[in-house]
Amino acid sequence: MSDFTDFARFVLALTEADVDFIIVDGVAGSLHGAARATYDLDIVYARAATNLARLVAALDGLQPYLRGAPKGLPFRWDVETLARGLNFTLTTSAGDIDLLGEIAGGGRYEDLIAHTIEVQAFGVTCRCVTLRTLIALKRAAGRPRDFDAIAELEVLLEEQERMELEQARNGTVSRPFPT
Amino acid sequence: MLPRDKEPDLPPDPVIEAYKKDIDRTLLRETLKQTPAQRLAKLQDFMRSVAGLRGAGRRRA
Repeated sequence: MSDFTDFARFVLALTEADVDFIIVDGVAGSLHGAARATYDLDIVYARAATNLARLVAALDGLQPYLRGAPKGLPFRWDVETLARGLNFTLTTSAGDIDLLGEIAGGGRYEDLIAHTIEVQAFGVTCRCVTLRTLIALKRAAGRPRDFDAIAELEVLLEEQERMELEQARNGTVSRPFPT
Repeated sequence: MLPRDKEPDLPPDPVIEAYKKDIDRTLLRETLKQTPAQRLAKLQDFMRSVAGLRGAGRRRA
């Protein structure tokens, strides 16, 4: 539906609607400093009824539809549909988004929230998994196509820790983003 | 499941260790100098460029 994923539009829509969500996977990697491109936004969302309603409202104007599904299916973007499912891979007028009610190795929103940090992006504050947690999640997914991405994230972690040590030795300011 | 309020241990994985030799550390050191907002803005710009190139390719075909 869209030539590219408009991360800003998604993040702003979700935060403006007050959705409880956590950024995971590729965009989380980018926030931490990974150089790898990613083509969709993956979020873990809270399954509370109020949050489902907020999520529906947030994406309502973007014509969400099941990604890769044949056209014309009677897919309805509403709270009932969200409540009946768990993980949704969607395409929208703002690009692709994966909504995860649960993630391998991390569980649900409530399990993951203790492993997140607040980040500023596109002028708003949102939550993203920590780098260590992101690596653990990708390891748990066990997909061979992720090996390269995991290696990059682990090198990133090594570099962050090296910088931290150097800064501690020099007494300089800390990094703009914690692990 | 991750232990609550505790960052996960990441014991070395020999397969991942083998992949690490191909990672460009210089590039990562550069991205670490940026703020998260700058990193995401850069990713968004890249996505927009890719979409532009794809569109140009489609128009030529």
